[in-house]
Amino acid sequence: MNLDRRAFLARAAATAAFASTPGAAFSQVVGGGSGFSDYRALVCVFLFGGNDSFNMLVPRSTAEYNVYANARQNLSVAQDVLLPINPLASDGVDYGLHPSMPGLQTLFESGAATFVANVGPLIEPTTKDQFLNQAVLLPPQLFSHNDQQDQWQSLKGQALTATGWAGRMADIIRDGVSNQQMATNASLFGTNLLQSADDTVAYVMGPGGPLQFEGFSTTPGSFEFQQREAFLRVLRAQYGSIYERAFVDVQQRAIEEADTITAAISTAPPLTTAFPDSQLGQQLNTVARLIAVRERLSMQRQIFFVATGGFDSHDNQNEDQPALLGGVSEALKAFYDATVELGVSREVTSFTQSDFGRTLTSNGDGTDHAWGGNQIVVGDSVLGRQIIGQYPLLQIDGADDVGGGRIIPTLSADQYAATLARWFGIAESDIGAVAPHLANFSQTDLGFIA
Amino acid sequence: MQLPTRCLITLLVLLTLAATGCGGGGGGSGSTGSGGGNGDSGDSAGDDDDNDSTAAVSVAEAFQLLNQASFGPTEASVARVLDIGIEGWIDEQLQQPASLQLPYLLTFPEDADSVELQTDRVDVWYRNALHGEDQLRQRVAFALSQIMVVSQQGVLVNGVYALADYYDMLAEDAFGNYRDLIEDVTLHPAMGVYLSMLGNEKPDSARNIRPDENYARELMQLFSIGLVELNSDGSQKVDAMGLPVPTYDQSVIEGFSHVYTGWNWAGAPSFQFARPTIENQALPMQLYPDFHDTGSKKLLNGVVLPPGQSGEEDLSAALDNVFNHPNVGPFIAIRLIQRLVTSNPSPAYVARVAGVFDNDGSGVRGNLGAVVKAILMDPEARGSAPSQTGGKLKEPILRVTQLWRVYDAQSSVGGYPLVESFILFGQGPLQSPSVFNFFSPFYAPAGEIRDAGLVAPELQIATEYQNTLFTNLMLLQTFSFNQASDSLRPEDIFIDISEEMSLVDDIDALIDRVAGKLLGGEISAALRQELTGMLEILPSEPAEFRAAEAIYFIASSPEYAYQR
Repeated sequence: MNLDRRAFLARAAATAAFASTPGAAFSQVVGGGSGFSDYRALVCVFLFGGNDSFNMLVPRSTAEYNVYANARQNLSVAQDVLLPINPLASDGVDYGLHPSMPGLQTLFESGAATFVANVGPLIEPTTKDQFLNQAVLLPPQLFSHNDQQDQWQSLKGQALTATGWAGRMADIIRDGVSNQQMATNASLFGTNLLQSADDTVAYVMGPGGPLQFEGFSTTPGSFEFQQREAFLRVLRAQYGSIYERAFVDVQQRAIEEADTITAAISTAPPLTTAFPDSQLGQQLNTVARLIAVRERLSMQRQIFFVATGGFDSHDNQNEDQPALLGGVSEALKAFYDATVELGVSREVTSFTQSDFGRTLTSNGDGTDHAWGGNQIVVGDSVLGRQIIGQYPLLQIDGADDVGGGRIIPTLSADQYAATLARWFGIAESDIGAVAPHLANFSQTDLGFIA
Repeated sequence: MQLPTRCLITLLVLLTLAATGCGGGGGGSGSTGSGGGNGDSGDSAGDDDDNDSTAAVSVAEAFQLLNQASFGPTEASVARVLDIGIEGWIDEQLQQPASLQLPYLLTFPEDADSVELQTDRVDVWYRNALHGEDQLRQRVAFALSQIMVVSQQGVLVNGVYALADYYDMLAEDAFGNYRDLIEDVTLHPAMGVYLSMLGNEKPDSARNIRPDENYARELMQLFSIGLVELNSDGSQKVDAMGLPVPTYDQSVIEGFSHVYTGWNWAGAPSFQFARPTIENQALPMQLYPDFHDTGSKKLLNGVVLPPGQSGEEDLSAALDNVFNHPNVGPFIAIRLIQRLVTSNPSPAYVARVAGVFDNDGSGVRGNLGAVVKAILMDPEARGSAPSQTGGKLKEPILRVTQLWRVYDAQSSVGGYPLVESFILFGQGPLQSPSVFNFFSPFYAPAGEIRDAGLVAPELQIATEYQNTLFTNLMLLQTFSFNQASDSLRPEDIFIDISEEMSLVDDIDALIDRVAGKLLGGEISAALRQELTGMLEILPSEPAEFRAAEAIYFIASSPEYAYQR
C-alpha cells in the first residue's frame, strides 16, 4: 500500500527519462540580430552596510599618515603593517592597503586593479562652503543606508527614478542582444535597484546558480512534463489582483529560464581556480561558471550583481574589519584569476560599490555613516595600478570634512558609472540616460578603463 | 551576516534525494502521532452574545479575517469567528495573554550550545505561531518584529536569550501603548547590542570620540516617524519646490545620539565590566551615570533638552519627543496595515487608523490594541468585493504556517527544528539580514504596480530563486513529508493528509476539501480544471499520490500566494 516516492516517480515518469531539451524552444522564438561583435561583462560587488574604505586604502607617508592616525585614533591601522603599493603616477604620497588584503595588493601591483578615490553620490560638484550654506543640490538623506544604497544603484539624485543604472543599460542595448538566452542582468543576491528597469527584467538566482523545479520535466510524455504544462497553464490564466499577476510573472520566468541556464551551466568545465568558502566567494564562483558558458547561452553583454554584508561597523570595528576586507580581497582575487583561466580577463570587469564611507571619528569602538569612500575596479581592461581622482585630506574639520569626519566626495558615482558604461558599450548619446548628472561634472570619463 | 551555508546545502541535498527517491535515513515508519493539538479550541463558546452582525459572517469573510489576523485559518478558528463574529473574535483575541519563548528556552541546560538554542528559539516561535491561543497577538508581534528589527544574523548570533525575551516583549506590548513599546524596545539589550546603543559613551573630544549614531538614526527612520514629514493620511508633505520635507537632519541625530549614552548590561559592577548573562539578557539596560552626556541635546521640532539632566530624564523626554511627532500615527498605521491587510491602503484608510492612534476615543494617544482593532474592522479590510489592488502577497513564512496549521504539521521529536527558516523561506523569526527587514515597505516591482505608483513589499523576496525553492518545498512537504510516509526521520516536519486520502476516489470532493482548507473554498475555474486533469492522470492507489498532488498544486498556486 505504502509506495515510496521513488516508486511514484518511476511510475509517473515511465515513458521518459529526465533528459531535457535546454533552450531549444526559446532559441526558436527569438530571432534578432546582434549589435555587438564581442563579449563584455560587468560584475558589481556591493558591500552592504558602508565600507570603511579609508582604512582600506591608507596614506603611508609619515606626514599624511599622522593626519590620518590623529583623526582615527584607536581605529587607525598601524603604519608599519600597511601593505605597500606603488601606483604608476604619484601624487607625492605613499599609500598602503589594510594588512588583510594581500590579494588586492597583488592585483594592484600587477596592473589588474585600480582604486577610484573618494567617490560618492553627488548631484553637482560640492565644496564644504556650499554644503554648509546649502548652496548646492545634494542627494536626499545623505548618511542613511537604504537611501544611499539607492543613490549608488540608481544615480537618481532628487528624482523619483525607480530604475537602476544597470537596468537602464540593459534597456538601452536590448535590441542589440536579442539572441541572448538569459537576461542581461542577473543577480545572485536577491532583488536590487541597480538592475531594475522599465523594459527588461533581471533574473534572480541563488548564490550557487538557478534552482530547477523538482518534479518538472520538459520531456513530453512524462508525468513531470504534464505537471509543468499544467503549472504553466495555471500561470497563463487571468488574475484579478496586481499581486497575483506580479507573482505569476516571477513564476513564469523561474520555470522557463531555470532549465536553460541550468543545462548550460552543467556543461561548464570545472575551474581549477579555488574560490574562498564565503558568501561572496560562492557567488563569484557561480558568476565565473556562467561566464564560462556565455557562448552556449549566446550572451554578449552581462551585468552580474553579487554582494556581501556586515560592513556597518558601528561596533567592534578593529575586530571585524580584517575579516570583512580580507574576504573582499580574497574573493576579488579568486574571481580575477578565474577570468584569466577562462581567457576573459579583458572582457570582464568587476567593481565595488557600498552605501557610503564612514566617519573618520570614532564612537569608541566603531564608526558611523558618512559619504565619500574609495572603490576598487578589477580586470585586464582596467588601466591598473592607479589611484584615480584625489585622495582627500583625512583631517577632522579639514577642507573636505562636513563634520565628524564625513568626507565630501571629489568624484561622483555618476562619473564612476558613466566610465564603466562607456566601456560596456553604451553610446555617448545614451550615457546621460545611464548617469543623469554627468553633465554637471567637467570630467565625464574617469579614464580608468579602455 | 548569514546563516551557515551548510544549512542550504543540507536542504538541497535533501531535495535532490527526495527527487531521486533515495532519500531518508531509513529508520522507523512515521507514526501518525496524536493530532498535535490545534490550539484554537472552537468549543469554548458558551458566552455568545448573539447579535445581528455576527450572523452575517460568511466562511469566506472569516477566512479573510484569519489570513489577516492569525497564522492561518483552521476549521476551528473559522468556526469560532462564525460563532462570535468578527468583532467578537478580535475582542476575544485582544484579551489573550501572550505565549512566550523565554520560559521554554530556560528549560534547557545553561551551557547549551548557542546554535542548538537558536534552533530551540525558532522552534518555540513556530510552536506559538501554529498552536498559540493568542493568534492575533502573535501575528502583531511578528509584524512588529519586522518594523523594530533585531536579528539573529550578525552580532546577536549568540544572544539567544535576549532575542527570545525581545520577542516576548513585542508580544506582551502588542496591544499596549506605543510609548511603552518604544521605551521597552530602546532599553532592551537585544536592541542595545543590535544597534549599538549598549555601551554607547558620552563624547571624548581629546580622542575624537563622539556618541554612536546608529540607534538614534534608526529609531526615527524605521521605528517611528520616517525620513519625511507626512500628512495624517500618510501622503508626503512637500515644500514650495515640491520636494519632500525631511523630518530631521544630522544635528538632530547627533542630539539623540547624546541622549542614548551611558546604558549597558544591567547588574554589572561598572560600565567597563558590563557583560551579558542569562539573567540580564532579559533585563532592560541599566544607566551608568558617569558615562551619560550631560550637555544640552537638540531633538525633533526645535525641542532642545537642557543640560544637566539625568540619563533617565533625557531618555524619557527624548522618547516623548518622538512619540508626539505627528508622523507616528500615519507611519505606524501604514506599517501595520501593510503587514496585516494590504500593501496599498487608501489615504482615507490610513487617516482613519492614524486618527485612532492619535486618540483611541478615550483621549489616549498610542493605544496599539485600538489601532489593531481599527485596522481589522475598517471597511477596507473587511471589503470582500474583488479589488485589483486590495490585499497583498502573503509573506512566504505565512504561506507555510497556514499550510502547517490546517494540516497539523508536527515532527516525531515534537517541535519544529527549523533554524534555517530564513534560508528555506526567505524569512524566519528574528532572522532578517539587516535592520531594514526582509523587504522594504516601499518596494515596487517593475510593471503595472510601479507604473501605478503602488507598492508590493513581499514581492521583493518573491524572486525566481525563492519562488522555485518554495514550490520545491511544497512538493517535498506533500509527497514525502506526510503522515503516510515510511521514511520520515524524527526531525522531519510532516503534515496529516489522511482526510484527503479518504477522498481520492472522488476528485471533485478532494479538490473541494483542499480548496476549502487553503482557499476558503474560493478556487478559480482554471485552477480546478488543471488540478482535475493532473489528478485524473494519477492512479487512485496509493491514496497519498492524489492527496499530495491536490495540496501541492493548490499550495503552489498564485491564488494561494495572494491574501485578499
